[in-house]
Amino acid sequence: MPVRLHLDRLLHERRMSLAELADRTGVSASDLAILKSGDARALRFTTLEALCRELGCQPGDLLTYAPD
Amino acid sequence: MPTMRALGPGSLSSFLKSVLDVVWILLLLVLAILAASLFYGVLAAFNPEMPFAHRVHFEGLDRLQGWAVVLVRMLTAVLFVGGVLVIVSHLREIFATLKAGDPFHPDNVTRLRIVAGGLVWMEGVRYTVWTLGALLPPQAAPERPNLSLTAWFSILVVVVLAEVFREGARLRREAELTI
Repeated sequence: MPVRLHLDRLLHERRMSLAELADRTGVSASDLAILKSGDARALRFTTLEALCRELGCQPGDLLTYAPD
Repeated sequence: MPTMRALGPGSLSSFLKSVLDVVWILLLLVLAILAASLFYGVLAAFNPEMPFAHRVHFEGLDRLQGWAVVLVRMLTAVLFVGGVLVIVSHLREIFATLKAGDPFHPDNVTRLRIVAGGLVWMEGVRYTVWTLGALLPPQAAPERPNLSLTAWFSILVVVVLAEVFREGARLRREAELTI
């Protein structure tokens, strides 16, 4: 998929674990793992909002579009 | 008025699953008896010393032709019950998923296609019997031609249902991967 989510990089920069992010956002760790692996088909605005809030970033920091 | 749930434990699906389980066991028994009878019949047809190998006459036809009719009837029954057993087996698996409250399980698509295939098989058996019956004298033929539009309509409905379930399974997968 040409849209990529850079959850790994942002977690590393924030020195935050996946479990901690799951705890803060209310999104399950397994769902975050799907997001991290790039297997997700769609992302809800509510999830994006929670991720941006807890990671202190903009949607553009999380997502990039890179055509194949 | 209380309404009965269609899916999940204790629902109508659960009741139908239990019925299908009973039918499946009965069909297994019937198939085993029929297969044993067919085996015995084949042996009897070639061994005039066996007690079952009595002479059967149809308007002056000899014993072998008499046995041919009996064996064709038995073989038809085995093939027909076998087809029903395949259908019921897969319906049991489908209803197990309905009982679990998971109707759009990806495997249900294949199961429904097999059910449709089973229905086609049973119609095919009927047509084969008609063809064989045409080779036998009219009074000995096991079946008379009878085109069942209901059967073919049912087959098409099941094929369409399989596609509906395929789309349902795809949407479920999409939902699962929507975070």
